[in-house]
Amino acid sequence: MNVHALLPMDRRSRTIAVILGCLALFACVFTGAWLYGDRGEVTALTLRKLPPSLQYPFGTDWLGRDMLARTLKGLRISLRVGLTAAGCSAGIALLLGLCAATLGRAVDAVITWLVDIAMATPHLVLLILISFACGGGEKGVIIAVAASHWPSLTRVIRAEVLALRSSEYIQLSRQLGKRPLYIARHHMLPHVLPQFMVGLLLLFPHAILHAAALTFLGFGMSPHTPAIGALLAESMRYLSMGLWWLAVAPGLTLVITVKAFDILGGNVRALLDPKTCRE
Amino acid sequence: MFQKKSALASLGSLMVLCMFMFVMVCPALAAKDRIVLAVGGESEEGYDPLLGWGSYGNPLFHSTLLKRDADLKIVPDLAREWTLSKDKLTWTVKIREGVVFSDGSALTAADVAFTFNKGLEAGGKIDLSPLESAKAMDKTTVTLKLKTPDITFIQHLITLGIVPEKLYGPGYARAPIGSGPYKLVRWDEGQQMVVEANDRYYGTKPAIRQLVFLFSEEDAALAAARAGEVDVLGVPSNLAGQEIPGMRLHVVKSVDNRGLMFPMVPDEGRKTPNGLAVGNSVTADVAIRKAVNFAMDREALVAGILDGHGRSAFGVVDDLPWDNKDIRFKDNDPAKAIAILEQAGWKDTDKDGVREKNGLKAEFTIVYNAKDSLRQGLALAVSDMLRPVGIKAVPKGESWDRIKTELTHTNVVVYGFGDHSPLEMFKLYHTPGPEPMYWNAGFYSNATVDQYLEQARAAESFEASIPFWQKAQWDGKTGFTMPGDAAWAWMVNLDHTYFVNKCLNVGKSQMEPHGHGWPITANIHEWKWICE
Repeated sequence: MNVHALLPMDRRSRTIAVILGCLALFACVFTGAWLYGDRGEVTALTLRKLPPSLQYPFGTDWLGRDMLARTLKGLRISLRVGLTAAGCSAGIALLLGLCAATLGRAVDAVITWLVDIAMATPHLVLLILISFACGGGEKGVIIAVAASHWPSLTRVIRAEVLALRSSEYIQLSRQLGKRPLYIARHHMLPHVLPQFMVGLLLLFPHAILHAAALTFLGFGMSPHTPAIGALLAESMRYLSMGLWWLAVAPGLTLVITVKAFDILGGNVRALLDPKTCRE
Repeated sequence: MFQKKSALASLGSLMVLCMFMFVMVCPALAAKDRIVLAVGGESEEGYDPLLGWGSYGNPLFHSTLLKRDADLKIVPDLAREWTLSKDKLTWTVKIREGVVFSDGSALTAADVAFTFNKGLEAGGKIDLSPLESAKAMDKTTVTLKLKTPDITFIQHLITLGIVPEKLYGPGYARAPIGSGPYKLVRWDEGQQMVVEANDRYYGTKPAIRQLVFLFSEEDAALAAARAGEVDVLGVPSNLAGQEIPGMRLHVVKSVDNRGLMFPMVPDEGRKTPNGLAVGNSVTADVAIRKAVNFAMDREALVAGILDGHGRSAFGVVDDLPWDNKDIRFKDNDPAKAIAILEQAGWKDTDKDGVREKNGLKAEFTIVYNAKDSLRQGLALAVSDMLRPVGIKAVPKGESWDRIKTELTHTNVVVYGFGDHSPLEMFKLYHTPGPEPMYWNAGFYSNATVDQYLEQARAAESFEASIPFWQKAQWDGKTGFTMPGDAAWAWMVNLDHTYFVNKCLNVGKSQMEPHGHGWPITANIHEWKWICE
C-alpha cells in the first residue's frame, strides 16, 4: 500500500498540519498550567510520595504536590524563558549580522572577532558566569541564555548578507546614492527574514535545554520553583528511594517539547525555503 | 614424570589460590582501620579554632581543656583540675603533663594562654569577650582572668581547641596542628579530607586509623553509599526512610532546631555600619509573630517534612535543663491566630486573602538556604499554613552567603541553632551590637530579658543561673518566647539521621548540637569495626 494513501495530503499540507500540531501542544501547556491555578505549588503533607494514579497521573512529590501540575508549570516556565531568550538572542544576531556585512571592514572585523570569542568559550561556563553575575532567578537565566546563543546565527546572517551585497539590485541601489543603513533596512532585511525565522525557531530547543541545565545545576531559579531543571535536580535525591515518577514524567515531557520545537523549525524551514516550498 | 608434573601443577595452583586469597582478604583487612564518612562539615574558613572551628565542641584535630561525655556531663580532657575562684573571676586550670602536639612539640600552659589571648583578639565567632587575659603560671598551670563573673565561660573551656603558639600564623587554618585524636593529612577543598590517627595523642587511641571525609552534595553522597563506598552517611531525615544494602539507620537525638527569625524593628531606613538594611515593618508587629506561632502545625511539620525524625520546637532550648516548660502552647490553632490578627487591626479589606493594616499588607519573604532541602520544605509548608489566616509568606531560596551578608536583617529567615550551653540563648536574645551577623539578626531588644540574661551569666553557680535563664524566656509578664515578645517562631527539633555500615559500631552517640563540623565523631575513640 502506498504511504500517501495513509496520509492523503501533499507535503505542504502535512507540513502545515505538523506546525499546527506543535502550536496546539504549546497552547495546551499554557492553558493547562493556567487552569491548574496554584495546584502543584501548595504543599499537602498528607498526600506525600504517591505513585501515579488516575487522580495524580504523574504522582506527587515529597511535599505532596501534584507532579502533573508542576510539570506543566515547569514547561510553561521553560517555554517562556526559551521564547524570550531565543527572541533576544536572534535579535542580537540579526543586528550584528547586518552591521557586520554592511558597515564596512572595521565593524566586520570586530563582530567576527566577537563571534569567534563567544564561540570559543565553553557554552555552559559562559552561561553559569553570566547567570551568576546577574544574581540568578528567571531574569538571570534569560540574560545568560540570550547573551550566549547569538554567535552561530550571526554568522549565518552575515554570510547571507555578504552574498547579497554583490547582487545587481544592491549595486544599483548603491550607485543611486542610497546610504548603507537604507540598503540594509529596505533591501537586505526582507531577504534574510526567512533565515532569521528558521534560526530563531531552531534556537528555542537550545535555549530551553540550557535554561533547564542552568536551573538543574542550581544557578537559576529558586529550588522550589516548578522549573523543569529544578524538578529534575530534586528528583535525583529520591530516585534511590524508588520515586521514579519524579524524574520520568518531567524528563519525557521536556524531551517531547524540545523535539516538537525541532520539528516545528524543520518544517517552517521547508515551507520558507524556495527550494522545498513547492514540493 | 606425569606424577611430578601433577604435583608441580597442584603446588602452583595452591600458590595461585593463596595469592588470590591474600589479595581478596587484603582490602577487607584494610577496611578495618579506614572508614569513609560523608557527613558534611567542610569548613570554608578552614580548621582554625580561633576562627570558629569546633565552636559546637569536638574539634577532632585539637584537644580542649574540658569536654562533654555521652550524657553531656563535663569531664576533663586536657585539664587535670579546674577551679573557679571565690569571686568567680579567675579560672585556674592544671593541664596534663607530657602532652605533645602532633608534630612532636610539647603542649604547655603557655600554648593554652596563647590560644585564649589570641582568641580574645580574634573576636568574631568565638567571642571570648568576658575574658580579660590568660596567663601561664608554670608549665602546666594556666589562669584565665575574667572582667566580670560569667558562669557560661566554662563553655569556652569545652569548645576552644588549643593551638600551638609557635606554629600559629597565617595559613594555620589550612594545615592545623593540634593535640587531638586525629591529624589532618590531606584536604582537597570541595572534595575530600583525609585524616589519620595522631600517634602522639594522650587519650584513648581510636581503633579506626584513618578517616576520609567526603564533601559532596546529598544525592552524590547517597549514590556513593549505595555503591558501598561510604561507611557513615549523614542524610536529611526526609531521605532516612530507605534501605541501603549493608547499612543500618542510626538516629541520634539532637538539640539542633529550626525556626523562623523575625526582624523585630520596623523598616525605617536604618543601616548597619557595613551598610546592610535593617528592619521589616510587618514582622515588627507582635501580633503577626504570635499569629505565625499559633497558625503553624508543628506536628505536621515533623511528620511531613522530617518523616517523623524529630519533635516540635517551642523554644530554642527545648528539653535542656534551662528550658522553661511554661512556654508550651497549643499550636495548629488558626482560629486563635485570626483572632489575634483581628484584634491588632489586621483586616482583609480588599478581599484578596491577605490582611492589611494602615495600608501595609501582611506579607513577608521567608528566606531559606537553597542547598538545604529540609529548610526548603519547612519554609514551603509554613508559608502554606499561614495562607488561611491571611498572612502571605513567600518562600525564597538563596545562597547562604547572600543570606548572611545581605538579607538577614530585613527578612524572615529559616535558621538553625542548638547548643549544649545556654550561652547561645544569650547571644540570640540579648540586645545586639551594631553588626550582629546571624546572632540576634532581628535586633531583638527587651530590657527585662537583658537583665535576666546578664543575671544568669553572673550567677553564683550554674544551678543558680538556671532560674534566670528560664525567666528570660518567660517570667509571667514578659520574655522572648511566644507568650511574651515571640521574637522567633521555632518549628522543629531535628533528629540527626545517619546510615552506618553494619560492620561499624559507633557506640553511644551524645545528644548532638547544631550540625557544624562532625558531631557524630564526638565518641570516635569508641568506634570499632566488628566484622572479621
